[in-house]
Amino acid sequence: MHTLLVYTAITWMCFLLVVGVIAVIRTPSTASRIVALDMLVLIVVALLALFSSYQRVSYYLDAALLLALLSFVATLAASRYHGEGRLFS
Amino acid sequence: MIEALSTGAADVLLVLGVGVMTIGVYGLLRMPDVYTQMHASSKTVVFGVVAILVAGMIVSDARESAYRAVLIIAFLLLTTPVAAHSVARAAHMRNEAGSGPPAIDEGTEPSP
Repeated sequence: MHTLLVYTAITWMCFLLVVGVIAVIRTPSTASRIVALDMLVLIVVALLALFSSYQRVSYYLDAALLLALLSFVATLAASRYHGEGRLFS
Repeated sequence: MIEALSTGAADVLLVLGVGVMTIGVYGLLRMPDVYTQMHASSKTVVFGVVAILVAGMIVSDARESAYRAVLIIAFLLLTTPVAAHSVARAAHMRNEAGSGPPAIDEGTEPSP
């Protein structure tokens, strides 16, 4: 990958992160806030993947995997709590 | 030859992934209710993040990096539909209204 392209991509993903935070703050309902937070974590995962391929260090992908795992559990817990009022039924 | 081809493929995949993620964030801001917002967010995962991860996988020479990328892709492809279904179920149970004309509500029909 060209270095300039990777630079541009990382900058643009940081901009998307800011836009995602604005979307989380401005959204009216709780369910769409959960969706926006899930999206935010995925942007961070993509950013970590970009950073890993830019620095040629594979350890960032561990963090990305862990973040994806945590995001799944958090989304599941938040949506169950939002829908049913309790976590385990 | 192979080197130039793989670099070009990685560039194309990177641009594709970043573009799809941009479209997803725009859809998140643009769509009126949670059911349509989930179209944007779920599809972004599959095409955006996976394209960026595959681009990194093509470029990197290290084998452990490719293994981890494959693991992340498999995990994301498995868990994203489950998370989206759970959020949609929660919104439906809270009687969250869609913004379009009312559809046939299969969730509240009595089961035979």
